Amino acid sequence: MNVLKNKMKKLIFAALGLTLAVGVLTGCESEEDDVIVLRVSNWEEYMDEGDWDEEEAMDINDEVTIYGEQSLVEDYEEWFYETYGKRVRVEYSTFGTNEELYNQITLGDVYDVVCPSEYMIMKMMTEDMVLPFSDDFYDMDNENNYYVRNVSPYIQDRLSNLEIEGNTLDKYASCYMWGTLGIVYNPEYVSEEEASHWNLLLNQDYYRQVTIKDSVRDAYFAGSAMYYYDTLMDEDFINSEDYFEQLDSMINATDADTVNGVEEILSQAQKNVYSFETDAGKADMVTGKVVANQQWSGDAVYTLDQAEEDGLILCYSAPVEATNLWFDGWCMLKSGIDGDADKQLAAEAFVNYMAKPESAIRNMYYIGYTSSIAGVTDGLILDYIEYTFGAEEDDEEAVAYDIGYFFGEDELLVMTPEDQVNRQFGAQYPTIDIVNRSVVMAYFNKEGNERINRMWTNVRCFDLDSLFN
Amino acid sequence: MKYSFSRKQLAIPYAIFLVLFVILPLVVVLFYGFTDGDGNISFHNFIAFFQSKKTVGTLLYSLVIAVITTVICLLLAYPTAYILAKFKVKTGPAMLMLFVMPMWINFTLRITALKEILDLLEGNLAMHSYANTIICMVYDFLPFMILPIYNTIAKLDNSYIEAAEDLGASKAYVFMRVILPLTLPGIVSGVTMVFLPSMTNYVVLDMVYNSTYIMGSLIGSYFSSYDWHNGSVISIILLIIIGIITAISARFTETGSRGSKRSAIN
Repeated sequence: MNVLKNKMKKLIFAALGLTLAVGVLTGCESEEDDVIVLRVSNWEEYMDEGDWDEEEAMDINDEVTIYGEQSLVEDYEEWFYETYGKRVRVEYSTFGTNEELYNQITLGDVYDVVCPSEYMIMKMMTEDMVLPFSDDFYDMDNENNYYVRNVSPYIQDRLSNLEIEGNTLDKYASCYMWGTLGIVYNPEYVSEEEASHWNLLLNQDYYRQVTIKDSVRDAYFAGSAMYYYDTLMDEDFINSEDYFEQLDSMINATDADTVNGVEEILSQAQKNVYSFETDAGKADMVTGKVVANQQWSGDAVYTLDQAEEDGLILCYSAPVEATNLWFDGWCMLKSGIDGDADKQLAAEAFVNYMAKPESAIRNMYYIGYTSSIAGVTDGLILDYIEYTFGAEEDDEEAVAYDIGYFFGEDELLVMTPEDQVNRQFGAQYPTIDIVNRSVVMAYFNKEGNERINRMWTNVRCFDLDSLFN
Repeated sequence: MKYSFSRKQLAIPYAIFLVLFVILPLVVVLFYGFTDGDGNISFHNFIAFFQSKKTVGTLLYSLVIAVITTVICLLLAYPTAYILAKFKVKTGPAMLMLFVMPMWINFTLRITALKEILDLLEGNLAMHSYANTIICMVYDFLPFMILPIYNTIAKLDNSYIEAAEDLGASKAYVFMRVILPLTLPGIVSGVTMVFLPSMTNYVVLDMVYNSTYIMGSLIGSYFSSYDWHNGSVISIILLIIIGIITAISARFTETGSRGSKRSAIN
């Protein structure tokens, strides 16, 4: 994928946008009063901004060509006018972390639609900030309801299992992108077996050659998977009837014993790893400064693509102990919508437009993350998967890769080159085995949060005792 | 009368600035530092900071980084500034420009470049993360040390030195008893400009793969977990440290160089 090229274009696009914005600002007095203003806040670089090269157009089947001419936001504005006969103007802004978004909102910024991760949505739900979607949003008969008609049943099922204070997440959020937490590794140095366990972070053979994310939650996940390693790998445990519940409570545990145990493991990891990285990991992987790094699946795809352009083959693995299944979801904020029916209509339509299979494909192509949309109504997503990852017909090494669960089917095989299984394809659409051993890391209560933050400070601060030993 | 009135008027923008961006934030920081989650006045956050081995460790770690950085900067900057200012090198101003110019380039950009050089020399940067931190801090803050020292040396009245030499002082004696005391204000303002930033500039540590927290990163980590109270406590402790340094240095400048106070830029 031409992500780099896209970035260049993005710059030019931004410059053009700026010039246009000046024009708009000077001429905005003439704007009609009945324009709905929709304030959207999304992750940085998390939506297609259009302006593709002509050769980037994807003929994903005989009839459909996917091509991003203008940004999805502009497309949405036009589509909304054509469909509902009302004008909408999107004020699009971005944030860097969930905490940053939360701070912005609590400090007085007003948004109508935001796209935080599942735990932040849960936190905001406990604080009564999120407006549930209307019944109309879930009406399967309405053709414009792209989200309910196309979302993966598997994803929707996982969302409905996430509950906080009696409310389930599927009523308050619509999944935008999802993925796993895993390890990007260089197969020249690190074996597939080594990379399939979180304790790679402690492996002294790779002293100062592996990075971990500078994020308390991601580090905590890896830490607790290592802490409970023996149980998690135990056959009896894996086959036990309440495996899911137990796995969930284990990984989401914030009791003092667990936190202390994880602190010890992460302190060891700190002495062994290359660094706790905020953003350098992707580049360091490509330039070969490190041989493995902890990464979200979407960033992993980006890293793998980048490396491939430089002729370097990297792989991705979601460790077998457990992986963190995460979601970023659109939700509407009460403070923004504020009882305005038109605004809510525009907000729900925005979510639906992003769930349109064409939009989902453009986003996946552009950012490398996996959309929650399965496109069951028109089969476009499956066509895209085959277009992107399908094997050549004469490829004798091709393997059958089952992604049935995502489409709500018992089995759905895609023939793909053998190496794609632990590369981009495997990262974007993990196997049923991986998702069966995945946990959603929930929002911790206040006490648990404080304990984990203290643990994190302890891991990262200078250890006075190390001076005397 | 009219004149003084308009002067007052001229001061209004600055007064507004002062209230909005200096006094108000300070009040907020003090408020959060001395209250707990329920809004009660409490010293608990301070006590907790000094009771925890980890946070005290971070304080010491940052202090050590700052002291080493400042000393190295001073040792490099003083002779450089002296040569540039005193020996009438034709290329003097151009040379000074070369030292100061890096200040015009964003420091993350400069450190990225330096990182690549260090990477060539050392191989795995994470193996020497502490040394690299110091190298990058010195590289980053050196101009802030050179400039004030250069200014005081350049304005140094030569007749003092000549008088000392005429009275029979040796070169070393002249330097120790005349030049150094007279340039102390420059040193002091250089030190204050280097010391505190090198205790808090955690971006440098991030960039050279040093994963240990310094005071700046601790503030960032508290703030990102909505813990305004503990974050403010760290800020207050830093304020106290800089207060102490300023107090000590004010003493030095008082006793050391009464005559050349005007030439100090602090």
